[in-house]
Amino acid sequence: MATTFKTLLPSDVVDSRTKLHENIPVTGTIVSGTYNNENIKTFSHGMFTSVYDYPYLSSSANHIFDVSAGYSNNSALSGGAYQGNAVQTTQKINIYNQMAQVLVGHDASGNIRDFDEDGNLVGGTKLEEVYFVNFSRLLTKDEIKKGTFSLDLYVGSSAPDFDGDGSARGRFIRIADLGAASSYYVNSPAGEYGVLYSNLETATTAQTQSVGLIYYQAGVAVLSASVFNDRFGNPGAHTQAVELLDGGSLDLGITGSAALLTSASLDNIAKVVNHRIHNISFNNTTELNSSIYFCRANANEFNYSSNPTYLSSSQIQVKQNADDDPVAYITTVGLYGANNELLAVAKLSEPIKKTPANELTVRVRLDY
Amino acid sequence: MAFLDNSGDIILDAVLTDTGRKRLAKGDGSFRITKFAFGDDEINYNLYDYNHSSGSAYFDLNILQSPIFEAFTNNTSVMKNKLLTIARTDLLYLPVVKLNFLEGPGGGTTDPTVGGTLSNTTDSGSYVITTNSTTTALFDNLNAFGVIKGNREAAEGSLAITFDQGIDNNALGLTPLGTANTLTETAYVVEIDNRLGVLLNPETGQDAPVSFVDDDQIASYYFSLQGDVDGSDHFSTILQNANPPTSNGNSPIAGRPGLRFQIKVRATDNLAGSNYLFDTLGAADMTLTTPSATFRYIDSTIRVTGFTTGYRVDIPVRFVKSTA
Repeated sequence: MATTFKTLLPSDVVDSRTKLHENIPVTGTIVSGTYNNENIKTFSHGMFTSVYDYPYLSSSANHIFDVSAGYSNNSALSGGAYQGNAVQTTQKINIYNQMAQVLVGHDASGNIRDFDEDGNLVGGTKLEEVYFVNFSRLLTKDEIKKGTFSLDLYVGSSAPDFDGDGSARGRFIRIADLGAASSYYVNSPAGEYGVLYSNLETATTAQTQSVGLIYYQAGVAVLSASVFNDRFGNPGAHTQAVELLDGGSLDLGITGSAALLTSASLDNIAKVVNHRIHNISFNNTTELNSSIYFCRANANEFNYSSNPTYLSSSQIQVKQNADDDPVAYITTVGLYGANNELLAVAKLSEPIKKTPANELTVRVRLDY
Repeated sequence: MAFLDNSGDIILDAVLTDTGRKRLAKGDGSFRITKFAFGDDEINYNLYDYNHSSGSAYFDLNILQSPIFEAFTNNTSVMKNKLLTIARTDLLYLPVVKLNFLEGPGGGTTDPTVGGTLSNTTDSGSYVITTNSTTTALFDNLNAFGVIKGNREAAEGSLAITFDQGIDNNALGLTPLGTANTLTETAYVVEIDNRLGVLLNPETGQDAPVSFVDDDQIASYYFSLQGDVDGSDHFSTILQNANPPTSNGNSPIAGRPGLRFQIKVRATDNLAGSNYLFDTLGAADMTLTTPSATFRYIDSTIRVTGFTTGYRVDIPVRFVKSTA
């Protein structure tokens, strides 16, 4: 009997799972003013700032990440000594608590835990004053690949680099999750996370100066406010001015990380962080669940065509004599449901000749 | 729709169709791939050059160099021509499916889908399907060739659209293929826009059961020969004029006939009772002299595909409604 369909046997269908990684480089110029800040979106609520890769009013713009900051109720910054010129105190504490309850969770009594320096939530030193960099799902996809995250940050002198030679930028550190590919934590309700260490730019092994955490599935980097000391510690120990680098027009007149966190608005804090980012790089991960269909054309199958040009007055155009082998050319594979609905289509990049003298298997992979 | 890069290794560009995504989203298990078919929509077999001066290796050079489109997601736009599995390799002739306008509505000698359809009118190049009784009445008592009385009340008595299958070449004689022949088409899939038309059983006049309606509102009907041809509502034998035959009677098939397949069609109640679809999808400027009237109309296509042989025929149809 002539047929156009061939039933797929159980052995013709295979399920598989693969992880796809893409390198995501974000250059500092994008976040520090290339587009005259038209790619930096602020909101009337002032809780965070969004960074786009193009002026955000354009439909071509892609959301890259959000920047915010906050401190814990347990932080010294929430006390009277730092609250003299404080602004948005409630919002900063709320942001911290919101992020903490999602990323760190609650203790047995239902209290929100603070971020922890080393991932050991029982005791230890806490990250009580932090900057948040929340990456867009467009970039992180399913998760950030462990051991690939790095953020290059200028942490030194406040003096703007007016002449553009970079000399006034002072210390420059690379914050990375070195060693996290084989050493990470799983005690977060938001998935796996690793510790971020500050290093010289050339370092390739884990260092002891932890300055934050990176949550891989959530796509959130939590940076200690002490990062401007290029190490973990009390942000109050940082005594340098923190106004914008690279000729930024905003002179906050603020000295030290502690004062920045308390007396600057979240929008201005984001500006400072954005202007000190030199580069961000990581590999994202996309989990592909695939069904692979092996479409097998045996020697005696699919050698004729129902293409209208195949026949001329019912005679097959590619045969001159009945003894000639029939020939057909495959360009498309159609995958059908039981009631002949076309559910998926695959196109070959060039026609493949099919005759009784050859067999072929076309491997069609559908990703979900 | 771009072409695929064919400068390197053979690659495969696979996508779910819109229907596939719809089935997947339903989450009821209706997304289940059970079979496959190969297609060759881009191939023009007329490019096969038996007389190429460089020899047989070059006969299909132009075919093999055909650029291939990226995959369409519209399920009705791809896999129009399927490859065919036939165990025999010594066939020189294959059957085709042809619209039999000699047996069709109105009866005549001119293919209504080509032109010259309505007497004393501008050509529509289509079968014309009336959508309500007022419109049908305008064509009463006229020899309106190519007009299908498609309002619900008249459709049962209208003539069926007829398709003949067989080898359209008398090189093999006129002996009927017979139902047992592997080349005889015994099942058809007919697709029609579900908003516009409904297929009917040509014997009973009852609405035929729909197999499924896709996301583009294209309804697919599946008809197959069950048992004997004599007992079938849709299939019949193509009568021949003598024994031994010298031609097929009232058939466009020139050689060995297969089976005749018939369907009736009516307009949907929506078309009869509302102008919305005419305003949205059609126009209102079809003016005839006989009958003297102006009509709203929508042009569409009925697609008939042989399930066994994959051969496909597209029939243009025009749903009309008097503006009076």
